[in-house]
Amino acid sequence: MIAALMVSCLAGCRGDGSGSIAVIPRTSGTVPWEPENVGAQSAAAELGERVYWNASTREDDIDGQISLVSRMRPGMYKGLVLAPDHALALITPVRRALASGLPIVIVGSPLAIPAGGNLTYVLNDEEEGGRLAAARVAALLHGKGTVALLGVDPDIAGILARAESFERHLAAEQPKVTIVVRRLGTFNYAHEQEAVETVLREHPDLNVIVALSSTATRGAISAIDSSPHRQAVRVIGFDPESLPFGSACLDAMIVQDSRGMGDRAIRLLHARFKGEPFPPSILLRPLLVTRETVGSVAVREMLYTRWRPGYTDLRRSATP
Amino acid sequence: MTISPAIRRALLLFTLLAAVGVVGLWSALWVQHGASRGLPYRDAFAKGKADEWKALGGTWELADGAMRNDSDERGAKLVTGSAYWRDYSVEADVMLLGMGGDAGLILRSSDEEQGVDTYNGYYAGLRTIDQTLVLGRAGQGWAEVANRLGVEASAVTPSQWYHLKLVAVGCQVAASERPLSGGEGTTIAVTDERCLESGRVGLRSYASGGVWRNVEVRPATQAQMAEMLVAAASRQARVEQEQSLERESSWEMYASAPGTGAAAAPSSPNVQVISSLRTMPRLNPQMATVRGTVVLASPAVFVQDATGGVAVQQAAAQSLKVGDEVEVTGKVHTSPFSSVMGEAKVRVLWENTPMPPVSVTASQAATGAFDATFIEVEGRLASKERGAGESLIFNLDAGPQSFRTVMNRGRGDSLYNALKPGSMLRLRGVAVADPAYTHDLVPFALLLRSSDDAVVLAGPPWWSASHVLAVAVAVLLLAMTANFFFHRMESWRLRAVLEERERMAYEMHDTLSQSFAGIGFQLKAIREGMPSDLPKLEQQLTLASELVRHSHEETRRSIAVLRPDQPGSDGLLSGLTECARRLVEGGSVRIVTACTGEVARLPLRVADMLYHVGQEALANAIRHGQPRMLEITLAFDKEAVQLRILDDGSGFDSGDEQSGFGLRGMRKRTADLGATLELRSRPGEGTEVSVRCSLRALKTASPRAIALSRIPWRQRRHVTDSDGCDSNSYRG
Repeated sequence: MIAALMVSCLAGCRGDGSGSIAVIPRTSGTVPWEPENVGAQSAAAELGERVYWNASTREDDIDGQISLVSRMRPGMYKGLVLAPDHALALITPVRRALASGLPIVIVGSPLAIPAGGNLTYVLNDEEEGGRLAAARVAALLHGKGTVALLGVDPDIAGILARAESFERHLAAEQPKVTIVVRRLGTFNYAHEQEAVETVLREHPDLNVIVALSSTATRGAISAIDSSPHRQAVRVIGFDPESLPFGSACLDAMIVQDSRGMGDRAIRLLHARFKGEPFPPSILLRPLLVTRETVGSVAVREMLYTRWRPGYTDLRRSATP
Repeated sequence: MTISPAIRRALLLFTLLAAVGVVGLWSALWVQHGASRGLPYRDAFAKGKADEWKALGGTWELADGAMRNDSDERGAKLVTGSAYWRDYSVEADVMLLGMGGDAGLILRSSDEEQGVDTYNGYYAGLRTIDQTLVLGRAGQGWAEVANRLGVEASAVTPSQWYHLKLVAVGCQVAASERPLSGGEGTTIAVTDERCLESGRVGLRSYASGGVWRNVEVRPATQAQMAEMLVAAASRQARVEQEQSLERESSWEMYASAPGTGAAAAPSSPNVQVISSLRTMPRLNPQMATVRGTVVLASPAVFVQDATGGVAVQQAAAQSLKVGDEVEVTGKVHTSPFSSVMGEAKVRVLWENTPMPPVSVTASQAATGAFDATFIEVEGRLASKERGAGESLIFNLDAGPQSFRTVMNRGRGDSLYNALKPGSMLRLRGVAVADPAYTHDLVPFALLLRSSDDAVVLAGPPWWSASHVLAVAVAVLLLAMTANFFFHRMESWRLRAVLEERERMAYEMHDTLSQSFAGIGFQLKAIREGMPSDLPKLEQQLTLASELVRHSHEETRRSIAVLRPDQPGSDGLLSGLTECARRLVEGGSVRIVTACTGEVARLPLRVADMLYHVGQEALANAIRHGQPRMLEITLAFDKEAVQLRILDDGSGFDSGDEQSGFGLRGMRKRTADLGATLELRSRPGEGTEVSVRCSLRALKTASPRAIALSRIPWRQRRHVTDSDGCDSNSYRG
């Protein structure tokens, strides 16, 4: 009997994710999403919550994210913060998790599920992102020029929204600036580079490339940097995996506040655990980062990726 | 309350057993949780063994005596060891395969999952992006301290071997690096106030792939840590003296990190999509250029884009990693379902995370539409075999289709040995219709990147032939056991019944039977002393005597029925003597008994037969012969036993014997066991009844006789009654 008690204790005393809030970004280890971990961890430390952080290693690994979401059930986790990899494919897993009673906060880009009950959204303000990009194009072109809109991805609802916003604002404010190319995006750098090279060949008078995704941004910069005669083309990118302002063609990056999303999502869930209702969807404004502002406090705060907030970080050992 | 000694002993025994169990369990746990259990450890990569390592992401395979991860996956891990290892060092030779990330060692790791920083542990690695030796802690997040190597050590270069060492003692963790090609190394040490205290070791790469060899894990001491700390401090002092800037854990850690890949280069002209290669002329192969992602690097190179995949035969061997985005220029050889780019020149454009597979069914893959494409498919294992060149082959069925998988032996031995036919598998690999792999036996073959690309979804169905046989044997054994216990219980129950019947028989004998005998004697005395002129009264007395006799007979029969049927050989003579005494009770008949020869143990059915025959003979002698002496003799010789009942009574003419039912009953009983019955009598000369039974002959007795003898007494009585046997009298 004693042995049985010991065995049951050993079995029951193992650590697991029970009681944690699962935070699943579109991917991890990259600039757009690591700050979300920092925001979530900061808020969790302040509120006495625990965070489980994991993601598939590619943004287009939809099955990987579905697999992670499918593991989320009440009893194992208290809540879920999800940045969906796909606008349609994640609907069923999220609905199933909701049906099981799990409170969920969708961050970044929305799903086609109305907020309410145990579901709410903390979204990137794509309208504002489109407006910022349009304004930056206006500042570059002074009322006249050509633009290529690359990286359009119907899989991510937010990217379509920012594309629409950009086109609308550009048309309204800069009617003589023409969008000469619209191309769908992929998650393949080589293809994106190749696409930009094709665009540059077909439109030698192109002035600005607006790249709506990190892959498209990277492909555009790479294509221009490898083509010495095209240095005049400027790139405005979204959701960067890096901030390569060492490249002359890069003009600006529009960065979503994923740190703020992580922070707000954890706070909303914590309130929900106490019985408070979820508020309607929340929009967080993205930030325009330029070569001049990349070292600013605001940008550093937004892109901060230091881990273990509230704890003493690793420090170099002193001489023994 | 007092406790009996037996209970005390039982309690003591239980306590002792419990104590032994607890001590044993604790000992097992102590051994299991030992901080140095399994240490020191040294890999067996050179021997082709790596079963103890567990992969989480990546394409980990053994090659050339080293562990190789040909994948650009971020955060691919391979772990081993005990979760209870505490203070120890892990060191290995490490080579990076790409420019875009880092590779190194993990220490004190736990809770590992597939993902970038999804483990709790310390990691030290060489990073090409910023030319640093980085040391940090992961825990679903990442914090680090880094030493730039360029200051006083050789820079981090892919395809170069470095010796990397990571030590943890208490809450201090140190790492050192030394180029094996020569040159000065560097050391870094950190203190983590809320440190991880124990965990496994691991190999890890981030967006670069890598090769590891000579992995050694040893217990570490404070003195060893002190040496590392001195080296780290010395290095730190030099750096400060040179006023070099340290790159501490910084906000832009990831922002500056993913500058992966070679310097950007323009695409070649006339780049085309891979699916268009199939339309190129077959007879006159032409040059073409495609761009795509490497989905398989070994045993053959396959490159895939959004439209399809193509096999690549390189003109010059070049190390490629899964995930590399490449530009391939080569001569296109087409076949109905696939294309091969021969004499190809491959240019690495980017190092990227490997692309996910396309989930298809085997039927879809069998159309050839996914040739050279990285797919995920499910199937049931039909058989397995070892192929040429140390390859491992699984043959699978999936609905109407069959296919096979091919993978390098590498780490696949344990999987190969563990997999049982009938298991349901999910497999990831590159589908090929090339007859070199399919042998034209199946529509497609799947080339796996590593053994981790095969996942067992479900074991084989339980109802295999061997399991059915095992169940049948188990059921048989169970039935036999149940039958055994049933008969034992039945035997116990019958014994209890017999004992009760015996008690009742004795009770009846001591009361009813004795009373009837007394009444009978009294009536006889009255009748003998009664005047002869009272015929009516005499008739009534005679009738009363007959009634008493009849009742006495009934009682005697009931007693005989109730008494145990199996007196046993030892009690046979005494049983018959007792029977005779009861029969003559109150009379002056002398009873003489004798036993000759070497007494042998009689089979129960023989003793039973002799008892009943003897009982009948005694009853007849006393009832009809008015003897003064009864002689009961039991004689044993080597082969037979003989019972003889002799009286000196009135005798009878043996020619009338046929009319007696009792004699017929005795003959029946003896005949059943193959015994012989002899009856000798003359009027006035008494009667001799003799039964001789061959013990040897019993073995050849008729089946019916033996079966009958084995029937419980109640049933046997029923059977003999139905045969018309009556033990009343052989004299009518």
